[in-house]
Amino acid sequence: MPLKVHGLAQSSSTQRVLVVLKEKNVPYELVPVDFFGGELKSPASLAKSPFGQIPYIDDDGFVLYESLAICKYIAAKYAGTPLLPDQSDVKAVALFEEACSVEESNFHPFATGIVIEKYGKALRGLEPNDKLVEEYVFKLDEKLDGYEAILKRQRFLAGDHVTLADLAHLPSGQIMGDVGVKLLEDAHKRPNVSRWWKEISSLPSWLAVIADAKAA
Amino acid sequence: MVFKLFGNARSRPTLRVAHILKEMQVPFEFVAIDVQGNEHKTAEYLKKQPFGQIPYIDDDGFVLFETRAICKYIATKWRGQGPALFPDPSDLKATALFDQALSIEYSNFDNAAVNIAVEKVYKPKYLNKPTDEALVAEQVSKLEAKLEGYEAILSKQKYLAGEYVTLADLYHITFGFYIVEEGGLMLFTDEAKYPNMARWWKDITSRPAWLAVKGGL
Repeated sequence: MPLKVHGLAQSSSTQRVLVVLKEKNVPYELVPVDFFGGELKSPASLAKSPFGQIPYIDDDGFVLYESLAICKYIAAKYAGTPLLPDQSDVKAVALFEEACSVEESNFHPFATGIVIEKYGKALRGLEPNDKLVEEYVFKLDEKLDGYEAILKRQRFLAGDHVTLADLAHLPSGQIMGDVGVKLLEDAHKRPNVSRWWKEISSLPSWLAVIADAKAA
Repeated sequence: MVFKLFGNARSRPTLRVAHILKEMQVPFEFVAIDVQGNEHKTAEYLKKQPFGQIPYIDDDGFVLFETRAICKYIATKWRGQGPALFPDPSDLKATALFDQALSIEYSNFDNAAVNIAVEKVYKPKYLNKPTDEALVAEQVSKLEAKLEGYEAILSKQKYLAGEYVTLADLYHITFGFYIVEEGGLMLFTDEAKYPNMARWWKDITSRPAWLAVKGGL
């Protein structure tokens, strides 16, 4: 039975999972969720995803939510592009976990904030809070100095191989660029960040996720 | 060479790491960073921690930052010397449920807890600045919206990842303790409203390793 992903093709957290599934060539079925219709607050849904969030997966009865946990599970279970360090290498695993945490604390809150204001609100016909966007952009810009320093000495965030830590940036990073916040693409200001962004955002698996989102 | 923890004696993230060092009985040397003097923003410091944040560790030349990565490293390297704070990595499903629990803390608790801590405790106590009560109310509301999810999970199992305590539970303590004890907010300690979460909270915060560091380093 193919793995079921309950989510939406256009949702950034769902896309984090989809890019990993495509990178690993894992057959899956995307089960669209009636996000605005309150499906996620139903008792049946809360039993699977208690915080009412997407995505969650059902792998032959094994239910899992939280996109990073799902990504790690898929990366560990299936062959193909490693996306994880060798689990017996304690230091490599630690540096990978550090990179995942860097995304969560230094990228995610600000990138998500920008996406919500400039994209999410537009979907609901609401006006963005420009002052808040300015604040998020300012803070993210500062954090990218840290990224530049790391990516100056190595190809990807956890070392010389692409991992889940890099891919985690794709959905929000993509939308940010689409709505005109080109922090990741600024080759003049941060040549290594832009080199890294160009490489991960041109992965065929990521382009396939974007294509699916447009078609949905 | 002894394990070195670079941070601040009362910083919440520094204490998160110190707690796990105690759980795993790892001897360490605490090195105070002059946060007031902006030592963490110097070029020298940025070579170790490129985001200019505390803490970071140096384990015989191996430098690591981000507290959760550090704690997982400690719990892995010294596994066997203390409690097993995460499942056997060869158990794919148990590991997935542990990763899920780790993410629960990061996505549903951390951001609001940190914001409340900064406003209610850190600003008045250390920066002599007034609390933005409207912001606190907003963040408390955000956090409270998540507590039902926690209550649902903890009504079915003892801890967030299953029947055994893991790092995912323990990561909540350093900020949770701060906002409840020093911020004076009931939140998840409200036994009437969240009986299972309160039970869980009491359990994890009574661990000797936490009690050893909760007052600071």
